[in-house]
Amino acid sequence: MENKGGREFIWIASVVVVLAIFLGSIAYALRLGYSVASEVSVMPLEKAAGLFQPGVKDLGDGRYQVDIIAFLWGFRPARVELNNPREIILRIYSNDVIHGFQIVGTNVNVMVIPGYIATVIWRPPQNINGTLLVICNEYCGIGHSGMYMEIVIKR
Amino acid sequence: MISERAFIRVSIIFSYIVLALGGLFGFLQLVSRTPRAPKLVDESQYYAILTGHGVLLAILWTAFFILGLAVFVVSSELGKPFRRSLLAVSVILAILGTAIASYPIIWGLLIGEPTMGAVLYTFYPPLTAHPAFYIGLALVLIGSWVFAASVFDVFIRWRKENRGIAIPLGTFGVLATLIIWLEATPGLAIEVLYDLIPMSLFGKRVDVLLDRTLFWYFGHPLVYFWLVPAITAWYALIPRILNTELYSTRAAKLALVIFILTSTPVGLHHQFADPGLNVAWKYLHTVLTFAVSLGSFLTAFNVIMTLAHAGILRGGSGLFGWISRLPWKDPVFSSITLAFILLGLGGVGGIVNASLNLNNVVHNTTWVVGHFHTTVGGAVTLTFIGISYLLAPVLLGRSIASQPMARIQPYLWFIGLVVFSIAYHIAGIYSAPRRTYDYSYGGLSPSMWEPLLQIGMIGGLIFWISGVLFISNILLTPFIGRPAPKLDGASILGANGSNEKATLLDRISLWVIIAVILIIIAYTLPIAELLGRGLSPAICITPAGIKPFT
Repeated sequence: MENKGGREFIWIASVVVVLAIFLGSIAYALRLGYSVASEVSVMPLEKAAGLFQPGVKDLGDGRYQVDIIAFLWGFRPARVELNNPREIILRIYSNDVIHGFQIVGTNVNVMVIPGYIATVIWRPPQNINGTLLVICNEYCGIGHSGMYMEIVIKR
Repeated sequence: MISERAFIRVSIIFSYIVLALGGLFGFLQLVSRTPRAPKLVDESQYYAILTGHGVLLAILWTAFFILGLAVFVVSSELGKPFRRSLLAVSVILAILGTAIASYPIIWGLLIGEPTMGAVLYTFYPPLTAHPAFYIGLALVLIGSWVFAASVFDVFIRWRKENRGIAIPLGTFGVLATLIIWLEATPGLAIEVLYDLIPMSLFGKRVDVLLDRTLFWYFGHPLVYFWLVPAITAWYALIPRILNTELYSTRAAKLALVIFILTSTPVGLHHQFADPGLNVAWKYLHTVLTFAVSLGSFLTAFNVIMTLAHAGILRGGSGLFGWISRLPWKDPVFSSITLAFILLGLGGVGGIVNASLNLNNVVHNTTWVVGHFHTTVGGAVTLTFIGISYLLAPVLLGRSIASQPMARIQPYLWFIGLVVFSIAYHIAGIYSAPRRTYDYSYGGLSPSMWEPLLQIGMIGGLIFWISGVLFISNILLTPFIGRPAPKLDGASILGANGSNEKATLLDRISLWVIIAVILIIIAYTLPIAELLGRGLSPAICITPAGIKPFT
């Protein structure tokens, strides 16, 4: 049954075309603006206590910087309120183990690696408002399932 | 010193013990995490059991079955004896390593200290387990290298006497599997030997981002270490069962070559959500992951064409008429073919996982759990179940205890898996997290999670029951199975010393060189980025939140 005109190569060529379309659309989406963390800065565990303070900074014009500490087992601050945000710079730090930071129902989903500050820039769509649940989505020990916080967006 | 036959028996029967225990753990954690279902275990036990489920099934059940299967295939096809000392050393190291690595999990559960071994099967530092966990894994790893040496030893001796002859397809698959393993395991070896064992023994501080990168350098090719044997089995067995030929042997070998080339330089697609790795490298790994999917697409085509031809030869007509003519009542055929369909489901989801912006929606959600249950739990495990029905006479000298039970079992597995994984995929799109004991989150969790997780549990229970049917069927076979005529491997695989000429595809060393070049390209850049920024070592902590060395 070998070699009936090499139909397998026609098939492979069609698959390559489909995959190339997928890759092109991913590249296009990246050009539109990819608001997920590829930014990181080193923050040694010993220095973090003095240099990284959790809290919200209003940068004006609808921009906020939110600094969050992820720890065993919770987030500090545990609740953040933002007034009509246009752009949120989320900086999340862990000084114990790996945690996750996922805003449920959005594509904000980042690993928080101990010793590093993860930075995500998120421009929440206008239809997002009210209380958003943020969960730790990386296993971090026996209290893992109780680790969550809230972000409240007021429009 | 053990014979090939004894090796095959020991490793495959041991794999069934591992499967049974891993399955029990699966049942306990599945029910415990489902909203409104009874909590069979408490939170700290849950994570130890989840660790056991992952380590036993994803790493050990697959590995032990593959070791036995590889010796069966290579000794039947090449007709050359293995060095018995190498076989003995490898199986002893692997079983000893398994026992040592399981000790903190199982003993920890028994004495009420479940956090001894609760680091899950990805064991990301700085969470730390009892040192035995890492030492046992290292022994399994060394055993697997000795095993690879034993297969290459046989192959090289065969090659010397058969220059210019094409490598038989089954052996080609085994070689591809072991090459992938040897490409991948250095990453794990460096992580475990250099960082994790010293961390758990002496409290060495480790850089977590670097260790995650090393882990996933190994972690994704591991998937192909499971999958390539299953795919090879489809190529080798489906034509035998249907009494026909494979549509294209050339395309089959090409698919295996694609796996050799691109199964390793793709690990960053597990780290799309990791900060600190440039998006350019992530995109490169997306491209390479799409390239590795070509091997699966090619397999899909080849297998479907083979099935269609067989169906048409049996009188099927029209576009789909061939389907009903296939031997769906034969448990070997149905297991393998249903496994093949599950790989289709897993493959489509895999394309989503590999697309770096879509991955952001599903990373670390139940979507991922749904995905790998269709692949390792579906495509791989159901294929191995089918092979078990075929090999029972060889392994146990008897045909399977209950043929009717064997006939139903693959369908139950398939239905259960489809229900489980579709529900978990959808829950994942709604951000339901994986690896968590409790989904309530102070009453804030989306209302869609609960019903989807409950449907998932029903699916999970269906394929768990199917697993119980399989294990009990195997268990009963030595006692009530009818004595079967002694089959030898060559007659099952149809290996009768074909004299086909070798082609470019048979030049394995060439493919290995290209694979190594691809790996160097794909990993030099991210590793240089990590080291160039400067590391930031963390302090180890137990899952109970205790720092054991400060």
